Parts: sequence; structure tokens; C-alpha cells
Amino acid sequence: MTPFLSGFIITLLFVGGVYFVAVLERCSMTGNVSWSGPARSFLLLFAQEEIKTRKHDKVFFETAPILFIGVILLTISILPFGRGSVIIDLGTGALFINAALVYVMVSLLMAGWAVNGVYAMIGGWRALAQLIAYSMPVVMVLTATVMRAESMFLTDIVESQQSLWNILYQPVGFILFYISALAIAFLPPFDLPVAEGELAGGVWADLTGARKLLFRLGRLTLVLTLSAAVVVLYLGGWMGPWLPGFVWTFLKTLLVAASFFAIGRYMPRIRHDHLLEYNWKYGVPLALYNIFQVGVVLLL
Amino acid sequence: MELLITALIIAAVLFGIGLYGALSQTNLVMIMMGIELMLGAAMINLVAFWRYLHPEAFSLQMFVLVAMTVMALEGAVGFAIATQRFRTSGTVEMEESAELKG
Amino acid sequence: MISIQLILLIIFGLAAIWFGWRVFMTSSMVRSALSLLGSMVAIGILFLVMEAEFLGVLQIMMMGTEMSIMAIFMMMYMMDPGGLGNMDMSHQKNVSIVAGVAVTILITGAALFADWGIIATQVPSAHEQNRLLGMEILKRSMMIFETAGVTILTGMIASIAVALSIKKSMEK
Repeated sequence: MTPFLSGFIITLLFVGGVYFVAVLERCSMTGNVSWSGPARSFLLLFAQEEIKTRKHDKVFFETAPILFIGVILLTISILPFGRGSVIIDLGTGALFINAALVYVMVSLLMAGWAVNGVYAMIGGWRALAQLIAYSMPVVMVLTATVMRAESMFLTDIVESQQSLWNILYQPVGFILFYISALAIAFLPPFDLPVAEGELAGGVWADLTGARKLLFRLGRLTLVLTLSAAVVVLYLGGWMGPWLPGFVWTFLKTLLVAASFFAIGRYMPRIRHDHLLEYNWKYGVPLALYNIFQVGVVLLL
Repeated sequence: MELLITALIIAAVLFGIGLYGALSQTNLVMIMMGIELMLGAAMINLVAFWRYLHPEAFSLQMFVLVAMTVMALEGAVGFAIATQRFRTSGTVEMEESAELKG
Repeated sequence: MISIQLILLIIFGLAAIWFGWRVFMTSSMVRSALSLLGSMVAIGILFLVMEAEFLGVLQIMMMGTEMSIMAIFMMMYMMDPGGLGNMDMSHQKNVSIVAGVAVTILITGAALFADWGIIATQVPSAHEQNRLLGMEILKRSMMIFETAGVTILTGMIASIAVALSIKKSMEK
């Protein structure tokens, strides 16, 4: 297959994947599968009137959604979908994932601040606390995967799982990364920044039209990106029998995304103090233990 | 040569802005921002020296890591002092903190 | 000779300087913290331009967190919602301007008139740099790195000790 053709197929699969995630999200909220639902809400937000709040911060109001979706697209561009099919193979790929995810937090903070509303601002500060807390275990478990691969190239990390996938090699790291991915994508058990019930939409409460559309699209892409990151780092990436590599990556990615939403549907929202307490008291020490364990196993 | 000098001039201007901020602001957190800018300028210098003079000496990159540590620590201790000032006197304006003035 | 590297250096250097200038020119706390973030990210991109990939990505990552924390602390202590109030928070302006300009001119002069010797053109690739930096940290500079770690621990303990409330301990 030529690089152009495979690039085209991957883009198509990716757009399809985002749509599928949108269907899953609706399914996790309402309980019934509606294939045309996301398209209808897309058109609705596209044509919606753009309401601007009084005395909003103009610069942040315009840049926050663009920053949000921009950093997520940057993260996608470094994730490998198949052997050789990666847009940019960075020498510091593993670190770059975390560096890009930090800016999700910054854009939420900017959006929450910019609209000049109470709920949005509380949502923004909550996002700050939550994402700072959960990017700590992420960077630590990433260190453990890098230790095994002895390289920061994400393709090398996938290659290092040839004999045994990382999910079995470092299960503690997998669990921590999985939970942190849920928290970073602020999906339902951790959806405190945009909580519908208590903050009436949080950060997104006062956003309408194109800005909200960008945020919603960005969140769906973020879910897909984090699922792909879980697959690349822990589930063996493109490895699998019979089918071509990128098909395996996408199958696994969609399965992980579905499991995210399944957890969201059956778990109650976690209280904010519990959220922080669990992470700082148990998550960070466990992540350190994970590094220690991987180091010992590597030396044996 | 002009690459190195460009980087050094950028760092010099940033350092000047940081110094201006650290000297002129009355707010503790703003003073810290000035100091962060000065440290950032120092880091540009270190990386420029590594890149254009001694790309084989990785102790220069090590030095940048130490500078980043200093930056983070400066933040942590500075905020702790700010918190304590806010608790005791209700403000972090440095004009109003003259207890140590004999 | 004008190369792409020089053009990028100038663009992102000017961005860093402009954001750095905005930090002290705005009356909104969150805006000045995020301007500082912009300046720091521009510095990180300068590192990337100078082919220090690991340091650039690390700088961008660390500063994102640190400056957001700075924004929330500014909010906590300044009581300035949204920069709607227009207050002046500076003193000894003239002295500061003179000091800033003088230091800039001094350093620029030093940079222009020093003899820098031979300029290196080749650097190791990003992957090789990661390896060499790791070797440097874990071999020759291990003591320094561990000292940095212990300093962080000391800093953590010191900041918690300083920030603890006095009232609670006195009540007991």
C-alpha cells in the first residue's frame, strides 16, 4: 500500500472513530443507540446563535477552544497507528504526550475564566486541581514504559511489547494510566469540571455555537486519543494476527473507548475531595512502586 | 556566530524585563514572576552555549535541569511565604511588610 | 547568511519578549500569569529550535502546570476579578527602568564583544541526546542530580512548614 493511500484510510478511520465515540457518549448518557444523534447535534450547534456573556475576556474567549482542539490534534500526530504509519516520530514522544495534555488543563482554565460566570469559573479551577493531580501518575507510569523500551520513541515502546504486552508486564501502571486517562478526559465518574448535575455544565455552561462545538468535538477526539495512547503504551499497539496493523490499533482503540463509557455509565460521580485524596495518597505512591517494580524486573 | 548572538540578545532583553518587573512590582506573586523570567533568560543562555559552543558537553543540559529545579522550588517556597503573609496580614503587598525595618 | 534557524529564533524570541512584556503591562492577574506562560512556552520552543528536544518538551510541560498554579494563587491573594479594576501596583519605577535597561545593554555588549571561538554546527540527534543526557546524569553528575532531589525534598518540607496555619497549633 502506498503511504498516501494508507494515510487516507487512517484519516477516514479516525473520523469514523470520532463519530463512533460520539455515538457511544450519547449511549452512555441515554442508554439507547442512536446513529444519527451526533450528526443532528452537530448541525444544531453549527447553526446555534452565538451568545456572548457580558464583559467576557475577549482574547481567552476566542483562543481557548482553538488551543483545546489544537493540542489534542498535536497529541494524535505523534501516536503510531501501524508499523511506519506515524505522522511525526518524535525522539521524546512519551514525554510529549504529557506535555500536550497539560495544555488541555490550560485551555479549560482559560475557557472557565473567560466567560465571566460563576459556574464556569468554579469548573475551571476544578479542572486545574484535577488535571494537575492526575498528570503526576501519568508521567510516572510513562517513565516505566520508557524504561522497558529503553527509548522514548513511541514506535520503540510498541516494539518492546513483542514478547509480552505491557498490560501484563506492568499491570499497576496500566490501571493507573487507565484511571488517569478517564480523569484527564473528564469522563463521567470524573466529570467534575463540566458536571451537569452540580455545576449546570461547568466550564461549558455559557458557551454556545461554534465554541461549544469545538469543545465537544475536542473532547470526543481527546477520548479517542487517550484510548489510542492506552493501546500504544499497554495493549501492544498494532500487534495482532491476520489483519493489517492499523486495523488492530483501531479495533483496540474503539474497545478501550467503549470501556471508558461503560465505566462512566455505571459509576457515580466522585466527590472532589475524594478525587484528589485518592490520587495524591494512593495513586502517586503506586506509580512510584510501579517504577520500582519494573526496574527490579528489568534487572533480573 | 549570529545565531549564538541572537539567542544571547533575546536572553538579555528577557533578563532586563524580568529585572524591571522584580524591582518595580509591589506584589509578591508579581515579583516571583519577574524572577521566573530572569531564570528563563538564564536557561536560554545555557541552551545556546550548549548548542553553539559545546554540543558534546552534556553537563550544560544538566545545568538547565538544575535551573528548572530552582524555578519549581522558587515557586513552591514563594507561594508558601505568600500564604503565610496572607494569613498574618491579609495581603501580599510588599509595601506593607516593613516589620523587619528597624 | 540567513538560515531558517535564525528566522525561527528571531520570531519566537520576539514572541517570548512580547509576552514577557505583557506580564507587567496588564492589570488582570490571570492574564499576566498566562502571559508568563506564553513567554515560557516561547522559551521552550526556542529550545526546540536550538535542537535541545528533551529540554524543550520538558520546559513546555513543566511551565504549563507551574503557571496555571501561579494563576490560581494570584486569584487567591489579589481579589481582582477579571482585571476590571485598574490599579497601579508598582513602585520605584524610574530606578527599575534604569536598572532593566542598563543590565540589558551590559549583557548585550558582553555578548557582542566577547570572543566566542568556533561555532559548532553538528549536534547529536534527539534520541542520542536523551541517551547521553541520561549517561551524564547517572554517571558524572549523579551527585549533583541527587542534590537537586534532596533540595526538592527540603523545599517541600520548608514550604509546608512555612504555610502551616499558626492559629491551629496555638489552640492545642
